[in-house]
Amino acid sequence: MSHLETELHLLKEGLIEMTRLVKIQLFKGRDALLNFDRDLAREIIVNENRINALELKIDRDCENIFALCNPVAVDLRFVLAALKINANLERIGDNAEGIARYVMEVDRPFDEKIIKGYCVEEMCNTATSMLDNTLEALLQEDTKLARQVFLKDDRLDEINRDCTKTTLRLLKENPDNALHYLSIMSIIRKLERVGDQSKNIAEEIIFYIEAKVLKHTEEK
Amino acid sequence: MSSTIASRKRRNEQIAFWLFRLLSFGVVAILFYILYFLVSNGIKAISWEFITQMPEDGMTKGGIYPAIIGTLYLVAGSMIFAFPIGVASAIYINEYTKDGVLKKIIKQMTNNLAGIPSIIFGLFGMALFVNQLKFGDSILAGSLTLGLLALPVVIRTTEEALKAVPDTFRQASLGLGASKWQTTSKVVIPIAFPNIITGLILSIGRVSGETAPILFTVAAYFLPKLPQSIFDQVMALPYHLYVITTSGTNVAESRPMAYGTALVLIVIVLIANLLANALRKYFGKKVKMN
Amino acid sequence: MNKLESIDLNLYYSDFHALKNVSMAVKANTVAALIGPSGCGKSTYLRTFNRMNDLIDNVKIDGGVLLDGKDIYDKAVVTDELRKQVGMVFQKPNPFPKSIYENVAYGLRVNGINNKKILDESVEKSLQQSALWDEVKDKLKKSAFELSGGQQQRLCIARALAIEPTVILMDEPASALDPISTSKIEELIYELKKKYTIVIVTHNMQQAGRVSDYTAFFYMGSLIEYGETKEIFTNPKNQQTQNYITGRFG
Repeated sequence: MSHLETELHLLKEGLIEMTRLVKIQLFKGRDALLNFDRDLAREIIVNENRINALELKIDRDCENIFALCNPVAVDLRFVLAALKINANLERIGDNAEGIARYVMEVDRPFDEKIIKGYCVEEMCNTATSMLDNTLEALLQEDTKLARQVFLKDDRLDEINRDCTKTTLRLLKENPDNALHYLSIMSIIRKLERVGDQSKNIAEEIIFYIEAKVLKHTEEK
Repeated sequence: MSSTIASRKRRNEQIAFWLFRLLSFGVVAILFYILYFLVSNGIKAISWEFITQMPEDGMTKGGIYPAIIGTLYLVAGSMIFAFPIGVASAIYINEYTKDGVLKKIIKQMTNNLAGIPSIIFGLFGMALFVNQLKFGDSILAGSLTLGLLALPVVIRTTEEALKAVPDTFRQASLGLGASKWQTTSKVVIPIAFPNIITGLILSIGRVSGETAPILFTVAAYFLPKLPQSIFDQVMALPYHLYVITTSGTNVAESRPMAYGTALVLIVIVLIANLLANALRKYFGKKVKMN
Repeated sequence: MNKLESIDLNLYYSDFHALKNVSMAVKANTVAALIGPSGCGKSTYLRTFNRMNDLIDNVKIDGGVLLDGKDIYDKAVVTDELRKQVGMVFQKPNPFPKSIYENVAYGLRVNGINNKKILDESVEKSLQQSALWDEVKDKLKKSAFELSGGQQQRLCIARALAIEPTVILMDEPASALDPISTSKIEELIYELKKKYTIVIVTHNMQQAGRVSDYTAFFYMGSLIEYGETKEIFTNPKNQQTQNYITGRFG
């Protein structure tokens, strides 16, 4: 393996490691939320530091590869994509931490009714599976897997759109839980963001492998 | 406007081109005329007997065999003397001396040596080899004198040949822990060899045609036998030519012989030059640079 | 310990002050690149490490140049012995007009080794290290000039490796080669640093970035900046260095 290939290989491993860490954060976020597990939530908040550190390392690696190895063509696209994937992963990590903080803030567990009403579980599962798809797409360099992410995002958008209506309905039924409604609403918004960020990652993977720019286009 | 400039430019270009072409063709024409002149006058004299027989009848009949052999001996003798000394000096100057006063003096001296008229060499050879060292009029004295004459040519051509070897070869060799002499003998000389050989052969051409240096040191007016040792006198082609055209017993009758002799001399020089080219090409291929 | 080091090194060609107080050190098994505009002294500096400047008339040197902590300009040092430890590769491929085999064996032969078995082994090992063995193993007796430029340069590297130096100096080793040959040489340098300490002069900044661990920027005979290549190429401390590597020089 040539020098540049070695560097790119290491960069990719870093990126995969980052994706795995973020995925675990997101899984834990879901579990903390659904089981109201504050210890788990605290763990997520602590682990966020590791993700931030890894983000900085990957950024530096990309900078070094640009400065020292002068990548071109597919190598160049990969490093460019890696930079953006890295940034998006870090934001997903932030969102997972955000969910954990809501779990820490509320005084008592969320009602089963609320969780159901907002389709929180489905939302969580869809978001994590999207991230999972991007990880697989990256590992196998498979753009088909990456494209599945776009379809799943539609479901997230749908739940997110219904969110306001659901809140109004629940408020009428039981206004005492207003704080919980608002927290869950924020969490839903965060999960929707995770979906968007996964979509961005999928776009970058397709850009890297196929040299196609999908950003701001309808054709996917 | 610009078209007139352009057409004038083209016209000047044409004039220059034809002028240069004419002049260089002129040079070639002169050379061919000389050759034609020699061949047309001399070919009648050339025969197997001419190059293998002794001269007879006051050099109006017979051949020039002893003169050919004499010239070959003198050339060989002068080269045995001049080649090793010349090459060694050139190696010393080019490979061993640093830039400085000494190198300048040596180079200036060899240049001066090359500029000395050949008759002076003859005179010097007579004074030193014939009289002082008591070699008498002999092949030895003549060869040494001709060798002295050839020395600056050999030194100069060898030096140029060594100079043409890129320094990185020397550095590469020294960089591998080789000594200066290992570098010179194993790398520099093999690379320079084709050009050294060329210089050697060109100086053979020069030496074989010289008359003045052998005039007082070796050449015999008429000696219809071959030399027995290096202390014998010999006849030589250029001197023989001079003798039979100016002071022979019968200048008019020996005129065809004179042209024949000239032709043989020219052919020997031409062969030397062709050999030089062939050898350079042969060795050049072996050490071809890219 | 530092493999190579220079301490307050000054070098003069007659009156010209070519190197000014250059102090830097190269760690073992790393690649140090010397960069800078033409005439900045980087090649001259490189050649102080195997005393190649001694060949030039009227050179004066003061200060120390250390190899494994020992001053190589000490009177007791024999240059032939020094040069066996410090190999050199030049800008233009310059194989000798000999066979491929004899080119590699040359360094051993001039050092008195003529045992066929030792030579055979050394030639094969050196050609393997320079990644040329597979291409030439069937034509070792052929003239070195039959090889392509890139192969010739790898042959020159093999020739330098045969005498088992610990340091290899490279003076723009790829500047006369096409891009493919260049990248082969670069990969080779990257491999060779596992066994050797390499100092390379290059005009090609990208090359310095690709192959070196440390980079030294020279300007007008002075060492302007020396540091990790990553640092020099992403965040140089000196404005002149920044101007040079970004191509905004002058």
